[in-house]
Amino acid sequence: MSNDTLTHSLTFTEAPAALTVVVDPTPQIARGSAVVVERRRPKAAGWSLLQGLGVVVDHWRKSFRKLDDTTQIAGTFTTEYPEERLPLPEAYRNMPILLFDDATGHELCTSCFQCQRICPPQVIHMTQAKDPDTGKPVPAVSEFIIEYDACMSCGFCAEVCPFDAIKMDHNFELSTADHSSLTVHKTDLLRPISYYQSIAPTFWAEAEASAYKKLETNKKRRPATIGIAPQMLAQLKAAHELRDDQQEATMPTTAVASAPAPATSSAAPPARSAALAASASDLPTDKAARLAAIRARNEAKAAVQAAPATASAAPAASDGGDLPTDKAARLAAIRARNEAKKAAEQAAAAEAAPTLATPDMPPTDVQPAASEQAAPPAPTVPDASLDEKAARLAAIRARNEAKKADEQTAAAGAAPTLATPDVPPTDVPPATSEQAAPPAPAVPDAPLDEKAARLAAIRARNAAKKAAQAEGE
Amino acid sequence: MYDVVDFILNTQLGLNSPDWVVMLISHLIVVAILFAIAPVQVLFLTYYERRAIARMQDRVGPNRVGYEGLLQPIADGVKMFTKEDIVPVSADQRVHLLAPIVTAAPVMYMFAVLPWGPNMIAVDLPTGLLFFFAISSISTVGLLMAGWASNNKFALLGAMRAVAQVVSYEIPALLSLLFAVMLTGSMSLMAIVEAQSGLFISTTDVPNIPDLGLGWFVFTPVGFLAFVCFFIAALAEGERTPFDIPEADSEIVAGYMTEYSGMKFALFYLAQYILNFLLCAITATIFFGGWQGPGIAWLVSQSLSADNPAGNPVYNVLAGMLGTFYLLAKTYAFFFVMVALRGAFPRLRIDQLMNFGWKFLIPLTMINILSAALWIAITRWGTAQGFGIIEFAGEPSNLVRWLIAFAVTLVINVAAYWFLARLNIQDHVARQAALAAGGLAVSPPRSA
Repeated sequence: MSNDTLTHSLTFTEAPAALTVVVDPTPQIARGSAVVVERRRPKAAGWSLLQGLGVVVDHWRKSFRKLDDTTQIAGTFTTEYPEERLPLPEAYRNMPILLFDDATGHELCTSCFQCQRICPPQVIHMTQAKDPDTGKPVPAVSEFIIEYDACMSCGFCAEVCPFDAIKMDHNFELSTADHSSLTVHKTDLLRPISYYQSIAPTFWAEAEASAYKKLETNKKRRPATIGIAPQMLAQLKAAHELRDDQQEATMPTTAVASAPAPATSSAAPPARSAALAASASDLPTDKAARLAAIRARNEAKAAVQAAPATASAAPAASDGGDLPTDKAARLAAIRARNEAKKAAEQAAAAEAAPTLATPDMPPTDVQPAASEQAAPPAPTVPDASLDEKAARLAAIRARNEAKKADEQTAAAGAAPTLATPDVPPTDVPPATSEQAAPPAPAVPDAPLDEKAARLAAIRARNAAKKAAQAEGE
Repeated sequence: MYDVVDFILNTQLGLNSPDWVVMLISHLIVVAILFAIAPVQVLFLTYYERRAIARMQDRVGPNRVGYEGLLQPIADGVKMFTKEDIVPVSADQRVHLLAPIVTAAPVMYMFAVLPWGPNMIAVDLPTGLLFFFAISSISTVGLLMAGWASNNKFALLGAMRAVAQVVSYEIPALLSLLFAVMLTGSMSLMAIVEAQSGLFISTTDVPNIPDLGLGWFVFTPVGFLAFVCFFIAALAEGERTPFDIPEADSEIVAGYMTEYSGMKFALFYLAQYILNFLLCAITATIFFGGWQGPGIAWLVSQSLSADNPAGNPVYNVLAGMLGTFYLLAKTYAFFFVMVALRGAFPRLRIDQLMNFGWKFLIPLTMINILSAALWIAITRWGTAQGFGIIEFAGEPSNLVRWLIAFAVTLVINVAAYWFLARLNIQDHVARQAALAAGGLAVSPPRSA
């Protein structure tokens, strides 16, 4: 009966000329992967309605199972977003961010203005950093603003950046009730390279070599702390303070009158120092060297702090002869570092000296040097005593130098405040970081290192001379 | 409820309250329960529908508010309550305000005659079925009021469509239900439910059948065809997809609800979902035995009643609970079918709706009434009623009579369905051909 109905309707539709639904008997169409649905002929009027209903109910029944691959037709494939997240593709781009080097804290941006120029909605604004001494522009950026609210996520800035300093982030959860927070400043734009590496490993692997190479050349042209990510500066400072703290605790015999240690340091309980010492006992030896270097630098800094107050006076340096005292101290620091490095090289992966406490946050400007030193893969020749002795010796020597300088200048009165990290003329942190040059954990490059040290010394001398001139005026 | 209240007040407490006090208290309790149940049903049904349709579309549905989204309707309600009530300047203010009330109030009345369990009915009207559908028609007045008072062309179009649709489909709905009235000889919904005891065969037809509460009318050809027709008509009356023409959002915004917001809109929504619930419940009551089900008969026989004063009132409560469970289970099952229909089928055009209603459903239900008459004649009549032909081979047993009735009505109903379907398909094809040939969109004269 139903077939009768069907055939009737079919013949009827084909009869009028207007309905020219010409069905090619053998349609030779390349179907590819098209799905051909075989429709069953309706058994009775209303049967296809039930079939349709059946499809829906079937989907309902199967929807209680999660879809695991795309070939399945029925099943739930919802990703319940806040709890579940699909992995974003590496090339996903949302908003631009700035990168800085994890190790040294140096920003990759040199304020070349390429991104600002190319930005179609013109939401990128930047100010180039200037050397506070000379007033000359430095390849670093002092302020960088991106208006996220108008950014169209085109990614041109990231594409055009020759230094791989600006990259596209994966964070899309930017909704806020505070509109002004979408004008993002440098501090909030900066992300460590390791973060970008985590979201886009292959992209970073492509850019890595040239990015670091360019960063190295730029770093050399950045005086003082210019170009270091602000958040890293804070960390750095904290790390230093902690270190000074430990230094006092572990070496109570040393005179600490001139050390710029916080007030709490003298009250450091012995229990804590003991604990720190104990915890340090299982740390690798390169830390010993690092610590020595830091100590030396701290001493030097203290000396430098005192030095400008002495004005043109204080020629009576120790072995520096006619050099100003701060220079002497710096020299001592460099020497101490070299000593330490040598010691570290001798016992790269030896067990740590028990007396040396190390904080968990490594000082960013020294770490590359240390890591470099630590590069030779664990020869398992524990020469702890030698290493320890060398490091301590270096530290003590540096300290003595510094103390001497300090004593000489102590009478000169209060030292000018150099607390703010961006103002001081201390060349030491850049010098060290420079010296520590290739962050890529290569085998220690002795000649380069030596050259860098010499360079640092020269630069330090120049700076001191300049300071002396300034004082003279 | 009367029995329970009477038992507590007069037997247990010995208050010797007059009859009307007991009646009043029991009715007040029932009314309070029903008015608490109706909005809760709406809350649940909205959640149920959204979850079910989501599953049919391979989605998950609302699952954020509360456990698996169970508090979603409450969140929706809060949203509705806090919304601004906007009345168009050019609208007829008073009618605009009255329309949702006129729409929502009658559906609450419909609860009065719905049997929830054995002896669980607010008012066992002798004309319950008539009351049910008469009162539901008043809602249509509210729809027209809403459409007219809004002073909006979409609202008016929607209201007109609603009235046309509801008026058209009340005829097949009531005609399809007539068979139950004929079979039971009563319009009381309670009587209709009680007639559906038995085991696939009603005890009214074969009295000595074991009573498992499964003698549903839907197991007869007459009842089945009536069920199909009634359910389709109920979809149209409840304005459910594929008959949601009055509020077709892709055509006329939201129909008569276009100019409503906030709680007034929520009232329309409430009325619609209560109506849908009640239509599902009445489908369950008339065709699927309502509260009838396995175990009810035994519980009722153990319970306290006028016939059985030695019964335990605990069984009254248990029977009521089980009956309500059966009714609700069936109701939700039908609501699931409604949701599945919404998931499966597109909306009809108004002319398709009219054609289907007037040319297919109404003739079919009329033939079904003929089948019902034959059913009664074959199962109950004899020579005394002028139907001696049934006794051609001596006095047949009830089961044989039932089998003969089943076969006869099955043939008649299937033939009627096939014939009407064929006629309608021919008509449809002819109209399509006429349209394709550039003719007017009117039905051409059909040559038989």
